[in-house]
Amino acid sequence: MKVLRVGIVGCGKIADGHAEVLKFMEGAQLVAVCDRELLLAEQLAVRFGIPGFYGSLDEMLAKEHLDVVHITTPPGVHLALTRQCVAAGANVYLEKPLALTAKDGRALIEAVTGAGLQMSINYWPNFDPAAMEFKRILASGAIGDPVHVEAFIGYDLAGAYGQALMGDAGHWVHGMPGKLFQNMMDHIFNRVVPLLPDVSPEVHAFAFKRRPEVRNDSTDTMLDELRVYLRAGGVSAFGSLCSHARPVANTLKVYGTLNTVELDFSNRTVIFPASQRYPSSLGRLGPAFQMASRYFSQGWKNLGLFRRHEFQFFAGMTTLLDLFYASIRSGGQPPIPYSEILRTMDVMDRIIEQVYPAATEVSR
Amino acid sequence: MKILVTGAGGFLGKRIVERLLEHGQTDIRCMLRDTSKGAALQTIAARYPAAQVELFAANLKNPAQITASLAGVQTVIHAAAALKGSPAEMFLDSVVASRNFLDAVAALPTAQRPRIVLVSSFGVYSVAPLGRNAMVDESTPLETRPAERDVYSYTKLRQEQMFWEYQQRLNLDLVVLRPGVIYGPGSGHFSNRVGLSLFGRFVHLGGKNLIPLTYVDNCAEAIVVAALSPQSSGQVYNVVDDDIITSGQYLSQYQRDVKPMKTVPVPYFLLMWGSGIVERYNLRSKGQLPAIFTPYKAATMWGGNRFSNARLKALGWRPVITTREGLQRSFEYFRNEPAKAS
Repeated sequence: MKVLRVGIVGCGKIADGHAEVLKFMEGAQLVAVCDRELLLAEQLAVRFGIPGFYGSLDEMLAKEHLDVVHITTPPGVHLALTRQCVAAGANVYLEKPLALTAKDGRALIEAVTGAGLQMSINYWPNFDPAAMEFKRILASGAIGDPVHVEAFIGYDLAGAYGQALMGDAGHWVHGMPGKLFQNMMDHIFNRVVPLLPDVSPEVHAFAFKRRPEVRNDSTDTMLDELRVYLRAGGVSAFGSLCSHARPVANTLKVYGTLNTVELDFSNRTVIFPASQRYPSSLGRLGPAFQMASRYFSQGWKNLGLFRRHEFQFFAGMTTLLDLFYASIRSGGQPPIPYSEILRTMDVMDRIIEQVYPAATEVSR
Repeated sequence: MKILVTGAGGFLGKRIVERLLEHGQTDIRCMLRDTSKGAALQTIAARYPAAQVELFAANLKNPAQITASLAGVQTVIHAAAALKGSPAEMFLDSVVASRNFLDAVAALPTAQRPRIVLVSSFGVYSVAPLGRNAMVDESTPLETRPAERDVYSYTKLRQEQMFWEYQQRLNLDLVVLRPGVIYGPGSGHFSNRVGLSLFGRFVHLGGKNLIPLTYVDNCAEAIVVAALSPQSSGQVYNVVDDDIITSGQYLSQYQRDVKPMKTVPVPYFLLMWGSGIVERYNLRSKGQLPAIFTPYKAATMWGGNRFSNARLKALGWRPVITTREGLQRSFEYFRNEPAKAS
């Protein structure tokens, strides 16, 4: 197996996650990192024992002959950085969101494919152990055809990322047309869109700001609660991004013609809800025990994964990168179809148009 | 003399301003990111009506604001530093911010470059190879394996190295102070040197190790004495109080004066053995559990040392209050502030 030479551009907080995963991956070596603030590149290199660090992407690309570059910068520069990497013959792996608009996302993918290279996007939770099991269930036909999908993602404005955002009115998230939603809703719609028929869906979105405080800066304009209703053909979906409900949840539920299945990303469970088999109140005694048994069984599965050292926090990123690097080596299909990425971006654009109409006008 | 204090709104910064005023300084510029959070400084300033205490809004990420803050300044006490956040954020707020500050100083004409007093940390020392109970003084070597330490120590080491690099290049008048554990009303209740709260228990890791305590007023006094002393140029000073106590003594006094706690004492040999297991498991499991304990980290944090403040005393520093009094004041404050106990 060819060992790929990997670089990272953008040495902020999320780059740590990439470096942590790459440190333990076989078939890839993180050889260099880059940030326009050289000191940030230095700290990442020192902490992870990475041989090279640079303040210029051009210099890193020229000297390191990289097979893959992970682009972990804010999305506004993804397209330009991708073009630089592609010109140097490097495949790219990008943080979400891919770009500020679907138009830019399309141009990015065209730049990559036009050069005969590959790209993927860090939708890592969708490749976590439980999410992979969920995909196997859907592919097996066990739930029949999807009728309705519910995707929920919570966000903690007081958490590590939330604090960085709320404490800095100049944070790049506040500069995106869709602000917080644009940074997070990939995680809703990259799960929903693959379950919808491949036609342009109806999109009805509304959003509001629930937190009462006024800080008299750009953080005040950021909405924090989003609800979206989608329908394409015979499948509907409801997506929520919720900053105030506790616990901070991350779930996906698919109601099918044969059965329903629920994936909990945070708790790493995939559960078929129990249903009443027998009539009367006696029949209602059983389901709770059925559910307990299903959760118990899931607990054992997770314990097995832990014992086999397959239960890391970023286990999904390892799986996704393994698949992506394999597709680079073989020239095969990338793990996330480009059409899915673009359909997700189209939906996101339409949501942003509805909940931040003024910002969308400006960005045009 | 106009003195600029960066990080003036912080736990230590406020006390530095107060000690400067107490030493008769009358022209102090306090740099804060947000001057609306300067009420405590205004309260302090009100006690010294003859002095001019200016609140100056500036972010060290913004070079233009730094340049403006340096106008007319003869001495800068650089106390701004990140205590929490992701590694990248801490590096931005401590190291990149310091580089911006030093670049702004470098851009000044030579005659206008101020004296710089850097508040560094004990965390910059390489103590793991010293052995237990070895003396840590200003001649102790600096850390050579920063990646194996906590991020705070790494950022403080890189920050101090950068100040010395600029000092060499520009012949700056630089003074460095390295405080131990700064405590007082408003600080955390426990240094990691004492132990950690894990799973609802307080795991006592410090045993009979001395804790290099420095009460916040004593530390601020040391910084001010060094800042105002002409002999301190180019020198480094450890900042640690007299009559410091052991980790066990701190914990038992805390339990007596603040609140009782369920504690689990872990002897050093057991800690080192367990740290080796954690480190090996981290590697074998491909990072499934973080290497929060490693033998190197454990030896650094809980190996146990003695500490010298002789050089600081030779400069004329004397503690403002005793350790006994400092602990009494702190514990009284902590007792009424239980929410911050962790």
